Amino acid sequence: MSPRVRRTALPYDVDEDLPREPTPAGRVLDARLHLLDRQTLDVDDVPVACVDDLEVRTASGSGDVTSGASPAYVTALLSGPVLGTRLFGGRPPASRLHRILWRNVADVGTTVRLGVRGEDLDVLWVERWVRDHVVGRIPGGRHDPQ
Amino acid sequence: MILSDLLDAPVRAASGDLLGYVVDVRLVLDGPLDGGILVTPRVHGLLVSPRTGTSFLGYERTDVRSPALLARWLRWRHRGTFLVRWSDVAAVGGDVTLAQDYRRWSPTFPETVHQHPTT
Repeated sequence: MSPRVRRTALPYDVDEDLPREPTPAGRVLDARLHLLDRQTLDVDDVPVACVDDLEVRTASGSGDVTSGASPAYVTALLSGPVLGTRLFGGRPPASRLHRILWRNVADVGTTVRLGVRGEDLDVLWVERWVRDHVVGRIPGGRHDPQ
Repeated sequence: MILSDLLDAPVRAASGDLLGYVVDVRLVLDGPLDGGILVTPRVHGLLVSPRTGTSFLGYERTDVRSPALLARWLRWRHRGTFLVRWSDVAAVGGDVTLAQDYRRWSPTFPETVHQHPTT
């Protein structure tokens, strides 16, 4: 069973009608609901990767976010081998997570659209390596099927 | 920091009382324009729920009412969910500790804001 707090132990009334926030100036996204696990497509609609995590930094660019005293921003989408850590806990080392800078994101919808070609992104290096060193060496592997 | 450091983290009041768990992080696209097409998303607040599971469907923060049975059940399961602003977060690291005078807000999306970017 996932962790939970007994409602009787909470220091507030769970049935209280909470006030709604004033409408923020910008578009509102919930990270898990609208970004995580979404497919990213490059500018040619070619699938690139899934959004496995997000990089959060302070306004000064520091990744050491310790409190809400200063604003924090999402600076990159992260993609990597997270299946194992989701099943068994923990998280992959930072070196295994590939970054897609937020400045390359063009739109967020059912998919996350990028404004660049996937060929130029580090996140696809494994695919490029397999194409060049494995698939390309198989007879017929360097052209479209006839 | 990566977002996984925050998601599912226990949330405590300044007194140490456990309030729930971070089930999601609310972002608002009103940060600086960093040379791209979209402005940078700013961390606006944390959604805190007494439960961690099944919140990914988001029934407790949208006006979606169907399928009715599922919507009512999930909304009931996640009663007590609230939004706390990022400025009310006193400390992050393992547990999330809120400021002494933190304020709870409704977890629903603000009115008139684009609610369903998936459409």
